[in-house]
Amino acid sequence: MIPNSDKSTPIFAAASVVFFMIGGLLTTVVPPMVDTTWGRPFENSDPAKGPTGKLQPLNEQQLQGRAIYVREGCWYCHTQQTRTLLADTKRSGWRGVDSPISTPDEFVYDNPHMFGTKRTGPDLSRVGGKYDMQWHRTHFKNPRDLVQGSIMPPYPWIANNEQEFQAIVAYLQTLGRAKNWRPDNDFER
Amino acid sequence: MAAEKQASAYSSTTAGAAVHTDTTAKWFLLSAVGYFFIVGIVAIMIAAKFVWPEMLGNIAALSYGRLRPLHVNGMLFGWLLAADMGLVYYLVPRLCGVKLWSEKLGVATAALWNVIVLGAVVSLLAGWNQGFEYGELPLPLDVLVVVAWIMFGFNVFATVATRKYQQMYVSLWYTMGCILWTAFVYLTGNFGTLLTTGVNQANLNWMYVHNAVGLIFTPVGLALAYYFIPKSGNIPLYSHKLSMIGFWSLAFFYVWTGAHHMLHGPISQWLQTISIAFSVMLLVPVWTVVGNFFATMKGNWPLLRENVSLKFLMSGVVFYLLTCFQGPMHSLRTVNAIVSKTDWIPGHAHMAVLGAFSFFAIAGTYYVVPRMWNVKLHSDALANWSYWFFMIGGIGFFVTLWLGGFWQGWQWNNPSIPFIDTVIALKPIWMVRFFSGIFMFAGIVLFLYNIMATVVDSQGAKPETQVASV
Repeated sequence: MIPNSDKSTPIFAAASVVFFMIGGLLTTVVPPMVDTTWGRPFENSDPAKGPTGKLQPLNEQQLQGRAIYVREGCWYCHTQQTRTLLADTKRSGWRGVDSPISTPDEFVYDNPHMFGTKRTGPDLSRVGGKYDMQWHRTHFKNPRDLVQGSIMPPYPWIANNEQEFQAIVAYLQTLGRAKNWRPDNDFER
Repeated sequence: MAAEKQASAYSSTTAGAAVHTDTTAKWFLLSAVGYFFIVGIVAIMIAAKFVWPEMLGNIAALSYGRLRPLHVNGMLFGWLLAADMGLVYYLVPRLCGVKLWSEKLGVATAALWNVIVLGAVVSLLAGWNQGFEYGELPLPLDVLVVVAWIMFGFNVFATVATRKYQQMYVSLWYTMGCILWTAFVYLTGNFGTLLTTGVNQANLNWMYVHNAVGLIFTPVGLALAYYFIPKSGNIPLYSHKLSMIGFWSLAFFYVWTGAHHMLHGPISQWLQTISIAFSVMLLVPVWTVVGNFFATMKGNWPLLRENVSLKFLMSGVVFYLLTCFQGPMHSLRTVNAIVSKTDWIPGHAHMAVLGAFSFFAIAGTYYVVPRMWNVKLHSDALANWSYWFFMIGGIGFFVTLWLGGFWQGWQWNNPSIPFIDTVIALKPIWMVRFFSGIFMFAGIVLFLYNIMATVVDSQGAKPETQVASV
């Protein structure tokens, strides 16, 4: 087949599609059938198996906030995954408690997914509940008022739009909360 | 080996009888060069925002989160893919010894492509972003891309079907492979993702992101390199057999690697391992191709002194070798734990898309524009200057981001360093990146000026024939 592929267009086209499709199908369609945790929402009530909790779909306001997060491209600089690296669990941790690693079942309702590829700002996979409303308001107006040296742009058009501001904070407060990983549930609202 | 050299002689036998009007190639190339300049301004703006985060900070449409997708999509689809398509419209008829199947269809494709790019500018600045990397464009524009791709693919395949020579030169395989694979890759990344959520969706998204580079820009870029290296140096390709190994190993290995974008992330470990194994195997197609090009140049290196196209091409080959060495290496778990998500990644990505594939497209543009308009290049000296601006800016950009990225990764892996300190540490790196960007932009300006001036020169020389064909 291959030796003649440079003389016949049909043979060439068939061979190149077949070559491509083997890997194409085995790495896209097959994996979710093999690993069913990709599609099963997180739920655990047995503390012996790790953090307990249940993944909830977002409500209308949180979804609106998520749409703002997508629109403004927050995901270009903030990842949402605590990787299987010790440093990630420390950095995503809070007040001395390490964060659990991110697992596929925590993201079942995410659409579009917001895992991200570039970490210009800190990872947000466990940011939910860490900062209160007032902190976020000040931070969106000018991040450098709270974090000296930050290069995050200011977002006055969100901070000054009460509906949008409430929505995006409502979304941020959900991040990483399916797992009850804080000792006393000491989250900000 | 002699037979192999003979087989590759197609590269130096341009169509004798067929007269090429090249209207489609001209439209594609001129718009691509224009977008290179316009999106270059956007590139400078986002590089500046790393250094001066308040700059234009109160205008939503000009915020970083809106400009970055415009930079990426504008460079990928407005400049690079449009230039690649324009050059394909030039080389396919010549390698087949016939005219392009339909110039009318080609010009319509070019017009549609411009509609897509302008639509992308408006929608991305308005924040109408689907939230997928490389797949940001809203759905109606995705549909138009598919339509344009079918028009492009049909024209190319119909031209190949009417070819005069039975054996197809390697550039034709890469072009046709690109057209076929892109169809599947694009549909997966822009439509398959809409049917899925969470990790499943991310997996499809990374399959698309990775193969947008690996199975769109790589094959069409190599099609150009395989055509323009022998042509611009007037030397035969070293080996037909090596190019075949390179092609079929690319066809088989590349698509498996998407999951390496989520190493250590929330995706099955075995899938990560598969993607690592195939990422390392990518050394096979890369080294065979690069080996073939180097063997072609053996004894002919002095040509680089005078030949700007060849300078861009062979520098592109070196960047291709380097970027494709980085790729397999940083897909290894230990290396990935340091460089993933850092500024190393844009350094790596820019070396592939700018250093390798844009260099090929620039070389091709410098080669074909004087020939299509039947006039000498406006200024060889300026072309040479543009090369050095791209080269110095590019190296400044790549090297500082690798060093900065490595440094950043080491700092991240020490959790006792607060995150903000790792941001502050990189500020000098981002300053150097900004000034490297200025250099690259100067290269773009000289390139644009030289191409436009060449076209204007041709109008002055023979107004009566040229008006009709443009």
